[in-house]
Amino acid sequence: MYYAGIDVGSLTAQAVVINSKGIHAFKSMGVKPNPVQSAKAVVDMLISEERVSWNDVRFCVSTGYGREQVQVEGLSQDNMSEISCHGMGAAFLVPEARTVIDIGGQDAKVIRIGPGGELIDFVMNDKCAAGTGRFLEVQARTLGLSLDELGTVSQGAERVLELSSRCSIFCETEVLHYLQRGHSKADIAAGVNRAMAERVAALVRRVGLEKEVTMSGGVAKNAAVRAELERMLNVRLIKYNADSQIVGALGAALMARRMGGS
Amino acid sequence: MRTMQSQSTDLYSEYVRDWKEKGGKVLGYACVATPVEIIEAAGVLPYRIKAFGHPDTELGDAYLARFNCRFCRSCLQLGLEGSYDFLDGLVETNGCDHLRGMFENWQHVKKYDFFHYLKVPHFLREDSLEYFTDELALMRDAVAGFAGTEISDDALREAIDTYDEVNAKLKRLYALREQTPPAVSGTEVMQVLCTGSSMLGRDFSDLLDEVLEEKAKARVTDYKARLMIMGSATDEVDLIADIESTGALIAADALCFGSRSFWTRGGESGDPLALLAERYLGHLFCPRMFNDYERRIEYVLDTARRAGVDGAIITYNKFCDLHGVESVSQRMDLERAGIPVLVLEKDYGSKADTGRVKTRVQAFLERLGK
Repeated sequence: MYYAGIDVGSLTAQAVVINSKGIHAFKSMGVKPNPVQSAKAVVDMLISEERVSWNDVRFCVSTGYGREQVQVEGLSQDNMSEISCHGMGAAFLVPEARTVIDIGGQDAKVIRIGPGGELIDFVMNDKCAAGTGRFLEVQARTLGLSLDELGTVSQGAERVLELSSRCSIFCETEVLHYLQRGHSKADIAAGVNRAMAERVAALVRRVGLEKEVTMSGGVAKNAAVRAELERMLNVRLIKYNADSQIVGALGAALMARRMGGS
Repeated sequence: MRTMQSQSTDLYSEYVRDWKEKGGKVLGYACVATPVEIIEAAGVLPYRIKAFGHPDTELGDAYLARFNCRFCRSCLQLGLEGSYDFLDGLVETNGCDHLRGMFENWQHVKKYDFFHYLKVPHFLREDSLEYFTDELALMRDAVAGFAGTEISDDALREAIDTYDEVNAKLKRLYALREQTPPAVSGTEVMQVLCTGSSMLGRDFSDLLDEVLEEKAKARVTDYKARLMIMGSATDEVDLIADIESTGALIAADALCFGSRSFWTRGGESGDPLALLAERYLGHLFCPRMFNDYERRIEYVLDTARRAGVDGAIITYNKFCDLHGVESVSQRMDLERAGIPVLVLEKDYGSKADTGRVKTRVQAFLERLGK
């Protein structure tokens, strides 16, 4: 018997299927024009590539920005906020986690959870791209790097360039300015990653940090941002033994198991 | 109620249009410190300026800065683009600096024949009550001159009685919302208040009779949690509807487009102007008042306890410094009293924020175990 979670975010969509032993299968992909199409596509991938029989899925919970539409279309039986789902997913992967930093494409959240992954408190960034995956995407594009390269290139930096602006758009201008003055991409990328970490650290301080701390979402894959955050918060970010991007969908699948009666 | 729902977000409502067609005058005001009784006693319609989440601010931005509260910029936008051309004048207060900027730029461009600046003290003391009484006398004379009439003490007393009646009926409406199960939703209550803020008190009183009768036996049952909302000036009926669409019921509020506009309006003075000074300055639960936080938080906590809420939402418009600062202490005091809090900073009128607001409210309900 399987339980499924579908997480349709602003940039990527994930589906996770669990059984009584843990994660059975998962898939992740870039989003389609609307959340229902994204949910259908990622479930189809799961069925065709991982040979999951959707008929064996007893209960499915959707989360992310498209969660309500996905339920309305009958792809899920219930929906939960991605905040609760990230907490639940993180607690499953790292039971001792009490603070979860989740940085997605368009928002950043810091979630405080209890021993069973229950939501205690949370804070979400205000309406602005600063401190989100979009911020890194804009700066990476200006530097002519991929998102993955932004994290790896900066490891060869000789110094970290200061980016003073809090705004993604102004920051892009600063990045251009540094490029025109002949600074290395590595030094600029290191500045970008530090600026990103500073914004997230401020968010962590707003909700209060309690150990242990984990990080989910696409930005968790950027080693330089992780390292900067660990330095700023003076804490070790515990790594998952799973893809950091599937934590929300995993949490939704765990909620499905709870709601679907197992 | 159905007619009210369709008209509650019309700036130039059927009611105001009728009034104007009959030759009636309309004065616009924005702040709950404005004693509407003086305007009504002169036979003029007091109209509370609203923006209903109007998203455009281009003209407003040309006169105010992008770091001014967007509620003020949206109201200014509507004023400058002509949506408020039915107004015959403005009554300004020093509610906050954003509001003053809105009023003064509006008047600078539109040049109404009537523009009165009512100065509201920031302290509640005996001497400030005296000062405010003098200010109200100046306002009475100015409004009387504008209306071409005298405002007698008897006319003032009559208007005060009318608003006493309105306020008592609004309290009954609030009781219907606070009861379990409630008879009205938070969205409906905001629609009623917004509708009433564009009407004469005596007509609003009649309308409230109809609403109270219609709603007496109604029941709202499909909600998961009872919440209270407080914070900046907001007339966004859609915001309350978005919050309630997640399964929350706004069972109580401490908004100035809500209970703070009418809840406590008592006073003992025999002189009607001194009584109005007491009614307004003495019960102005707004962070623009200095040295008055204790009374404000007591008001909030009393409201929360009376309505038996599961949690509270503190919402404020981006760049609203008064409520932004107040939210920190409020959050701590509410949580100390065992009431979980969601702080919701939002961009006034931004439809792009809807999803983010609903995500946060849904997560808050999940945090409450609902």
